[in-house]
Amino acid sequence: MRQFFPVDDLARDERFVQTNMAERMKDARTTVDVDAATAKSRASSNRLTPDRHDASDGARSLMHGIMVGEIQALEGAGRTAHDFEAGDGSGDTIPFELKLDMARQAWDEARHVEISVKLSDWMGTELGQFAENTVLFEAACSNDPILRLAGVNRALEGLAIDVFTQMKEFGNLAGDPYLEFCEDWMLADEVTHVKMGSDWLRKVTENDPDRRKKALEFQQVVDKLFSFGGARGETDESPIGLARRFRELAGFSDDEVDTISMMDQEALDERKEAIRAFHAQADAQPTPA
Amino acid sequence: MGNSETETQTTVRAPFTPWDRRELPGLFDVEETARRVGNYKWTEMKLFEALGGWIATVPELDVKMRFGTHCYHHSWHADIWHKRLPELREMKPERLTAPANEAMERFIEAMTEPEAAELTIEKLVGVYRVLIPRFIGAYTYHRNNASEITDAPTVRFINFILQDEYDDWRDGEMLLQSLITTPDHVRRAAEHQAKLEAIMVEAGGITGPGSIGTSVSTTEGGA
Repeated sequence: MRQFFPVDDLARDERFVQTNMAERMKDARTTVDVDAATAKSRASSNRLTPDRHDASDGARSLMHGIMVGEIQALEGAGRTAHDFEAGDGSGDTIPFELKLDMARQAWDEARHVEISVKLSDWMGTELGQFAENTVLFEAACSNDPILRLAGVNRALEGLAIDVFTQMKEFGNLAGDPYLEFCEDWMLADEVTHVKMGSDWLRKVTENDPDRRKKALEFQQVVDKLFSFGGARGETDESPIGLARRFRELAGFSDDEVDTISMMDQEALDERKEAIRAFHAQADAQPTPA
Repeated sequence: MGNSETETQTTVRAPFTPWDRRELPGLFDVEETARRVGNYKWTEMKLFEALGGWIATVPELDVKMRFGTHCYHHSWHADIWHKRLPELREMKPERLTAPANEAMERFIEAMTEPEAAELTIEKLVGVYRVLIPRFIGAYTYHRNNASEITDAPTVRFINFILQDEYDDWRDGEMLLQSLITTPDHVRRAAEHQAKLEAIMVEAGGITGPGSIGTSVSTTEGGA
């Protein structure tokens, strides 16, 4: 078996269809309204709530996204347990205890796949009904294990905290205790995984400030990528909120959460600008006779 | 305080209750126990690494999830043995974290060789039809021959670990039975098992020759 496993080789059965972030962002369909006035006319918030006309499809799509995300998180944790020799954390080695944590995370993610498959079924979704974005596993492919911790455990699992908080709230508002119960349990695991990433990142880079700086920069890149063009943010324009309290429990400082919030807003503004440009270009096209 | 009857009642009792049949003698001294524990840790590590690495390589969702779960089980075993080593006077656990011999190392290389998505049967055969049955053998032999008093911690750990091994073996074997559905599958499973068994026999088991004791001659005054 190879030491590192490329994202293109991820094994799936024939029900799954894979895509990547670039393809996803090219999709003109969007949950973000570029015109605030239009948004106001439809609803007072973009948050995923049961009273939205598209709530059912939105929740199903999000749950399917969670499920494929959990599959990739399972694969990523397994690869990190496999890819690096046990050692003192320098070079290509990781501490033995970090390998153990990755194996533990693999078990947690396996349970999350089980939970989200059952929840998808409960919500009337079939496996493979929506495309699978493989960006999560890409973040788990770095040759530096510390970048994996920053990209996956802190950025990605941090997003999972936000998403699960949103879905738990959705379950509560929709009167679905089954959904709320499961999301609550998964949220507890995600806080543990993010804390694991925060603790190991600090410990392994304790005497290597350059490596820590690089890791935190990589985390910011991934954070911005995973804000899905502002789909996650603190304003009501973003369908998914930023779960400050749970992030603090997971080891994020106030400054770090503020930075993520700021990046989310920038990503939202950039995406709105891109959509405006797209519409302007489309309007400029001559209408077919 | 109390009545006179209570005051006169004796508290003298035998140190071992009549139902406690544990014995002092055991086959393994501290050094031999540490050696075996080091072999267990190395092999459990290699197993959890392999299961973790394979998760991304198998297309079957049920197998993928089982590998994730079992990856943790074996990492927990490795952790238990890692923590046991200093209690057995080995203050540098890495020193004894080693394969029993060169053949055992070769076995792990051969077991982890299959990577392609269509080789799920081979991956499962290596773990659940060759390696885990060997773990069950080595652990059972160790538990049944260790001193139940002087080495009670190892016996206790093995009992916990054996429960996982049985459960994981059953899971893996049932997955295999559900995947082996054609004569070609049967051939592939049997050939791969034979190839790995041959190396394992050369290694003599998880802890080398004597993993499950040495053969007892039946020609010398057998009943």
